[in-house]
Amino acid sequence: MLFPTLAFGVFFLFVYFTAWSLDRENGRRKVFLLLASWFFYAQWDWRFVGLLILSAVLNWGVAALIAGRPGRRNGWLVGLGVAANLLILGFFKYYGFFVEQAGELLARFGWERDLPLLQVILPVGISFFTFQGISYLVDVHRGKTPPAKSLLDVMLLMSFFPHLVAGPIVRASDLLPQFERAPRLTRVMATHGLLLIVWGLFKKTVVASELSVNLVDPVFFDPSAHSAFDIAAAVYGYAVQIYCDFSAYSDMAIGLAALLGYSFPRNFDQPYRAASMQQFWRRWHISLSSWLRDYLYVPLGGGRKGLFASCINVFITMVLGGLWHGAALTFLAWGALHGGVQVIERLGRAAFGDRKVLPTVVGVLVTFHIVCLGWILFRAESFELALAMLEGLGRIGPVEVLTPLLLTLIVGGLAMHWLPPRAVEGMAERLQAAPSVSLGLLIGAAVLLVEAVRPEGVAPFIYFQF
Amino acid sequence: MTDDRDKTGGQGEGPGEPPAPLEPFPTHLPESPFPPLYESLPPPQEAPPDPPSDWIESADAHDLPTRENTLVALGRFAFPPAPPLDDEGVAARDRRWTSRTIVTATVFLIVFNAVSPLNWARQQPPGWLPQTVERLSEVWTEQLAVFGVDMPRRGLRESWDAAREARFIGQGPAQRTGSTSPSD
Repeated sequence: MLFPTLAFGVFFLFVYFTAWSLDRENGRRKVFLLLASWFFYAQWDWRFVGLLILSAVLNWGVAALIAGRPGRRNGWLVGLGVAANLLILGFFKYYGFFVEQAGELLARFGWERDLPLLQVILPVGISFFTFQGISYLVDVHRGKTPPAKSLLDVMLLMSFFPHLVAGPIVRASDLLPQFERAPRLTRVMATHGLLLIVWGLFKKTVVASELSVNLVDPVFFDPSAHSAFDIAAAVYGYAVQIYCDFSAYSDMAIGLAALLGYSFPRNFDQPYRAASMQQFWRRWHISLSSWLRDYLYVPLGGGRKGLFASCINVFITMVLGGLWHGAALTFLAWGALHGGVQVIERLGRAAFGDRKVLPTVVGVLVTFHIVCLGWILFRAESFELALAMLEGLGRIGPVEVLTPLLLTLIVGGLAMHWLPPRAVEGMAERLQAAPSVSLGLLIGAAVLLVEAVRPEGVAPFIYFQF
Repeated sequence: MTDDRDKTGGQGEGPGEPPAPLEPFPTHLPESPFPPLYESLPPPQEAPPDPPSDWIESADAHDLPTRENTLVALGRFAFPPAPPLDDEGVAARDRRWTSRTIVTATVFLIVFNAVSPLNWARQQPPGWLPQTVERLSEVWTEQLAVFGVDMPRRGLRESWDAAREARFIGQGPAQRTGSTSPSD
């Protein structure tokens, strides 16, 4: 059940009205939201609801054990809990990849073996709820968040349907305190939520879908059949598509949660405005980059052990971040590219200090094109295809796939980054004073516009596969 | 009528001069809107002492009788104003406002985007629910089409299709790769 579908719309209307009718009794409301979330998740594969429950029980139990032993050495307990989470993630996501790589390695040394290859189905959103579980355990251990008061809260934290399948990664310290009391809905919150949902619908179903179906997919499928103009347009188009796709999901998730009275953190902040790779990661998938910083980069040593160590740590963090996106060498290369550029930036800062070496415009352009280079690796199904895309950038020929509409969508998708940084919030502030009927008609008209021009059917969100 | 400053009473400035006509010409100055000069003011009088205070400690200024329109007073009696909302009341009011917004948008879409359930039903595998939805939607869509409420969506779609078909100068026709057109 995807967000921009009629089925989800009906589901959400039911959840919205039922949840608010239960708001006098917070416990029952949470039970209802949990059941609704499981129903939502079961639409992909009901068997994985059990995995979700198992993961929640595991994290709740370990956190309770940690909290029950204050002042004692609990590092091994945390390690055990984190390892269990990673085991679940590793089995479902990386088993096939590592067995395949191990088989190839053994074959090179002449030790060919029939390794047990399993067709493991990847549960949707497993990376997101696993990371959430890990952050909960570590935060309880560090004393950053108290343990949840009930198993119900942990289950709802990990299963809450707005963020369940593609984030943002909402940490326990953000959401558990909100679960402890009955939520309140304010006009600003509701208006903001509604606008985010409509804005997300537009970005996903109009911009991302149109670019995907008519430009990116055909060019990436066979780069050798296209000219440099079309390939360059496809690369820029993919940059816009992945931003509009993923940020749309985050926007809708934040908006849906807001309508239910819960506040999620911001996940995107006009990433293509970044003038350096470090800035890019402060603006792109913020919940993941801050997760990697707090639970990987800092435990590795962060920047405490000098420049060289910090460069190695940031490189390892980005490579593992790449691997988190998928079990493929192209993702590893993507992570290495981002890590490598950040290392160069750090060395540059060490050499030149805080002096501005490049004008901001040049920094933005250079960063954007490095990110686009990374997107080629990210999107291509193999290194061969990625190389074919790069080779095609030198092939002069007629423009065949790019059309004025697609060009407008690319330019529009990039221009979104130069809107006022909090444009939706500002609009929500103004519209909150409007009569409900006027706002309802406005929202209805905006959805009608999106519905009228969207392609038939909805492709799954790109980040569902992660 | 003579002006205070016309000390001759309208009889002219000197004994040899003819008297100034009084009527019908307004030869005198109108009464000054300004107060007389300080010198001509009578000496200030001592203000009488204040009467003994009639302040009632238990009285509230809002209780003092005020002149009010009878209809307003009747309305106030028939529909007494609600007490100011507490936090819970404000939250409930905002929830109602949000729900009304959502319901309005939903009704708007049921009318102007009636084809959406039909499209959904046609994309589902055969079954009781999709068939029922499809039949109901067909009737609903046809009935609404009589009133022309499908025109906005149709117009938007046609404009979008025209934009999609546009090509750069010298560019060949479109290469269609995916299903892009909803069946409305």
